[in-house]
Amino acid sequence: MALLEVKNLTVEFGSENNPFRAVDSVSYSVDRGEVLGIVGESGSGKSVSSLALMGLIDYPGRVTADSLTFDGQDLLRMPARQRRKITGKDIAMIFQDPMSALNPCYTVEAQIMEALKVHEGGNKRQRRERTLDLLNQVGIPDPKSRMTAYPHQLSGGMSQRIVIAMAIACNPRLLVADEPTTALDVTIQAQIIDLLLKLQADSDMALILITHDLALVSEAADRIQVMYAGQLFESGPADGLFAAPRHPYTQALLEALPERSEGHDRLRTIPGVVPGAHDRPDGCLLAPRCRYATDKCVAQQPLVEDYYGRDVRCFYPLDDNGQPTGRTA
Amino acid sequence: MLGFFFRRLGDIIPTFFGVTLLVFFLIRLIPGDPILMMAGERGVDAARYAQLKAQYGFDQPLIMQYFHYLLGVFQGDLGKSFVTKKPVLEEFLTLFPATVELGVVAILFALVVGLPLGVIAAVRRGGIFDYTTMTVSLAGYSMPIFWWATMLIMFFSVFLGWTPVSGRLSVLYFIEPTTGFMLIDTLLSDQKGAFLDAVEHLILPAIALGTIPMAVIARMTRSSMLEVLREEYIRVARAKGLSPAKVVIVHALRNALIPVVTVIGLQVSVLVAGAILTETIFSWPGIGKWIVEAVSRRDYPTIQGGILLIAMMIMMVNLMVDLTYSVINPRIRHTR
Repeated sequence: MALLEVKNLTVEFGSENNPFRAVDSVSYSVDRGEVLGIVGESGSGKSVSSLALMGLIDYPGRVTADSLTFDGQDLLRMPARQRRKITGKDIAMIFQDPMSALNPCYTVEAQIMEALKVHEGGNKRQRRERTLDLLNQVGIPDPKSRMTAYPHQLSGGMSQRIVIAMAIACNPRLLVADEPTTALDVTIQAQIIDLLLKLQADSDMALILITHDLALVSEAADRIQVMYAGQLFESGPADGLFAAPRHPYTQALLEALPERSEGHDRLRTIPGVVPGAHDRPDGCLLAPRCRYATDKCVAQQPLVEDYYGRDVRCFYPLDDNGQPTGRTA
Repeated sequence: MLGFFFRRLGDIIPTFFGVTLLVFFLIRLIPGDPILMMAGERGVDAARYAQLKAQYGFDQPLIMQYFHYLLGVFQGDLGKSFVTKKPVLEEFLTLFPATVELGVVAILFALVVGLPLGVIAAVRRGGIFDYTTMTVSLAGYSMPIFWWATMLIMFFSVFLGWTPVSGRLSVLYFIEPTTGFMLIDTLLSDQKGAFLDAVEHLILPAIALGTIPMAVIARMTRSSMLEVLREEYIRVARAKGLSPAKVVIVHALRNALIPVVTVIGLQVSVLVAGAILTETIFSWPGIGKWIVEAVSRRDYPTIQGGILLIAMMIMMVNLMVDLTYSVINPRIRHTR
């Protein structure tokens, strides 16, 4: 059985009659020790779906799902108190901007020890020792003196290490990293990713890695999920997904990489933007931006279907040569 | 930290001179001659008038009078009241505890009621509690103290008869002032029921005086909390699996308190202004009532000394507020 099983997760905002679906019937599963990479443009619902997983979507947002089971327990149908025992202990999350993720009023030590206190108990001395271990583990130089530092005294990279230490404090079985390096310096980015992957490998923890960085997921992830406007567009094993994309959107994303534009005058782009609350097309959400779109795409929404071992939401999935199949005319 | 303290202390010096200058010249702009005021309806003949004028130094140029005054202030001499002939400082010190007692209880009332109201309104934003609290606090904020105090007296003292109408203590009790704070003095004395009587006397004036600060604190706490609750670290705290109460009180409230503390500091001057009205209405023997009487009698030394002392007190409170920031906010503590 998979560690995390998500079936038709939907997150809606706005009024009941005219809701905006930030996440639209997304299904996926994560196995023990697996790395799942989620990619997609800004506004594609990556962060919102992980917040829903953590139970951090507030009113007026509405979260529904056929099932949202973690280790056999249905997260959506348990009392809040019980769910909080899982959140932060078995499922932990790392956020985008480390500089704003730490409370400016408390020391590093206090913020890490707090998570330990809630879930593990023990006395203050034990918690302090564990905190020191954690800081060592995440590669903080001179951890003893950093224990009593306040967040404003730390650099971005250092803060992200603290945030990671905080997240892994209770040995979670699933770690959700929501663009953990977006706010960091390029040189620090690689270090943080290496750290996350090392922690993941050492502890057999499952990792959901949300990112814009296609190169990173293709290297690090076991499976990849491509999202667009709240919908799952393509997902499958990382091996070969980028070598032979089946969805036109995945293909377009890859073509937009600067390294693939050699020999062209300009970088290639996907024209337009992700549809927002008021300009959602009736048919396929990508139709206005897709170079292969037909009248059918404009009129009708495709469903997710299995195509050579991948889940693809498209009427005309691509073949090995990157050409749409099944198109007449 | 110590450097910060002394730098702030240094800021007080120009303000001090400004206050002496303003008070000294402004009261002399008010029509009315203090000597004629003292003489009353009988009047005074020209020779005696000239003699008194020389005695009080009014025959000298204003500038000279000001320097004489300033010289006295530097020697700790605020002059003697024209009316009572007692040193201003001495009178101030006997009356001051009454005002402090009233002010402290009023601000405690404002905090104890205002803070939780603001926090709950922010957490339940958009709900009935939020709207009710904010409407009521807007009403509280807009209410003139003299009207509100009168209404309180009419309802609680006259109609329901729950509390005494005015004063600090019933005539039944006689308390020798040791600290000047009635609540403490009555506790120290062995007269039964005196403490409770003092409390009963204090409730209404404290509520009347504390209503505006309470409304301001509630509104400020709410808006500051709303801002903080949107911060990423609140989300992180929730992601740790902390209970909602812990997230709000431990993580949000402390950050939200910084602007609230500023407002509390500013409310001290509002309290002094309010105390003048409240003390007059409730016959509370404090400095507010004292200064009002001094103004109507053109008692220059009392007005000058009283206002200077109040100004110094407000500056001290603001200094304390600044020091409180650094306790709440580590970012200020570590800046040099």
